[in-house]
This record gives sequence, structure tokens and C-alpha cells, in this order.
Amino acid sequence: MAKRGGFSRKSSASEEIPSSSMADIAFLLLIFFMVSTVFRKERPVPIDWAQAEATEKIDEKRKNILHLWVDREGQVHINDQLIADGSIAGIVRPLYAENRNLVVAIRGDRDVPYSQINTITEQLKQSGAVRVTFATRIEQRVQRARR
Amino acid sequence: MAILERKERVSDEIPTASMADIAFLLLIFFLTTTVFNEEKGLPIVLPEADQEEVDVSAKNLIFFLVQADGSVVVRRGESEQEQVVSANQIEDLLRAELAANENLIAAIKTAPSAAYRHMIEVLDEVKLAGAERISLQMLE
Repeated sequence: MAKRGGFSRKSSASEEIPSSSMADIAFLLLIFFMVSTVFRKERPVPIDWAQAEATEKIDEKRKNILHLWVDREGQVHINDQLIADGSIAGIVRPLYAENRNLVVAIRGDRDVPYSQINTITEQLKQSGAVRVTFATRIEQRVQRARR
Repeated sequence: MAILERKERVSDEIPTASMADIAFLLLIFFLTTTVFNEEKGLPIVLPEADQEEVDVSAKNLIFFLVQADGSVVVRRGESEQEQVVSANQIEDLLRAELAANENLIAAIKTAPSAAYRHMIEVLDEVKLAGAERISLQMLE
């Protein structure tokens, strides 16, 4: 007790790193990430992706991209809705009129017959939305050589 | 008495030292579980429906005929001669052709019953070769 004088007390204050604000910093970061996260709106359709080595990143804003899914049975889905083959143009046309920068990303199953894809591209031509991407996954060279 | 006083002083404050650990743990959890779904694919611009048909001279055309089983036949517009190639030869073949004629249009004609992936395979090769003018058609 004799050692606990006024002098030693003073030095004990600066002994530790001030960690009380650490929690505030961490929570601030946490809240920032939680608020800025955008959740995807649509449910993904289970498909086997086609692979391509020339796959490039599409530098377009999320709101300018319309996903058009073609599932294993060849059925077309737009915005979580099953679309009849003949009515694709009718659905895409108003969306394209609303947003001239629209890019249609065709996410087709790799085993769908080409006639189905052709029907879709023909419908898209009629709707005026001519900027299209065939969504693919990146393929590595090694994989390709084995094919 | 002295011991009792000391005990009270320890429990005076809420322990906030671990708060930062909890917050960082949550933060790292969210950081690692977030998936950025960026758009990836092969972009192409389709011809517009009301566009007039343009006659292209045969020497500026090269056809890639994708058969139902996925095999590829190359037909040069001018000579009409056909040649069976494997998909991974297309890149080199087309690159050589493009070097000779930069106005060349690569037309991919796919059989209706061919799987989508065969068409993508050929389109991939054509893109890799650096072709700018690509046309997609269905094989009759």
C-alpha cells in the first residue's frame, strides 16, 4: 500500500490503449456495410452455366440489366415470372421504352436447344432491345485443352 | 473491510472491452458472406427488326455451321468449300482470315436441335479471335 502514492496513480492512467471507442468504430463500419448492401431481388433459377473463355465483365449499372432466364426445360423467366415464348417482345418492349440503356442478359442453360435461344433473340429484335449478352462463366485454358 | 471495498470497485462498470471484438466479428462475417453478383458474359448487338437487309459480298463472309452434335463446319462465302474443324481450331483459323480481310463477317449458323453450349463454344472462339462483326443465324 505504501507504493500506491499519488505518483504511481498518474502513470496507471496511460498504461492501457484506449479501446472504448473501438466498438463505436466497428459498429459504424458494420452499419455502413449493412445499409449499403443491396439484396438481389429475384430468385435465381437453377441452371447449368455455359462456359466461355472470352467472358467479359459487363460494365453496366444494375438497374440497366434485365435478366432473362432459360431453364433446363427451355422455359423463359423474367423477374421471377414464367413467360410464354410468344409474349417476350410484349414484355420487354415497355421495359425498353422506359430505359433506353437496357441490356438483356440471357442466362440460358447449357443444354437448351438452340431453337429456343433463337426464338428469344428474334423476340428481342422485335422489342427493340438489341443489346444482349449471353451470360457465361469464365473458362480456364487448362479446362479447355482437356475438352 | 479493505477487501470488501475493493470487490465493489471492480464490478462498478459494464465491461465494454469485448464489445469491439463482437462488432468486428459481425463485420468480418458480413464482409466474407457478401457476394457481389457482377454481370459476366459475351456481349453482342442484335440487328434491329426494321433494318433493311444489306447485301454482303460473298468474299466478306465466313460461315461456321454448328451441327446438332456440336461439330463445326467452316464454309467460306466465296469458294463454298466446306471443312470440318474442331471447336478449338476456330480461333487460329479466324484470326488468320481476319488478318487477310478485316471486313470479314463471322456468321454462326446453329442447327435448331444443337445444344446452346455448342453455339456458345463457337461464339467464344470467334470472340477470342477478335472478330467485331458477328451474325447469329439458325441453320435450315
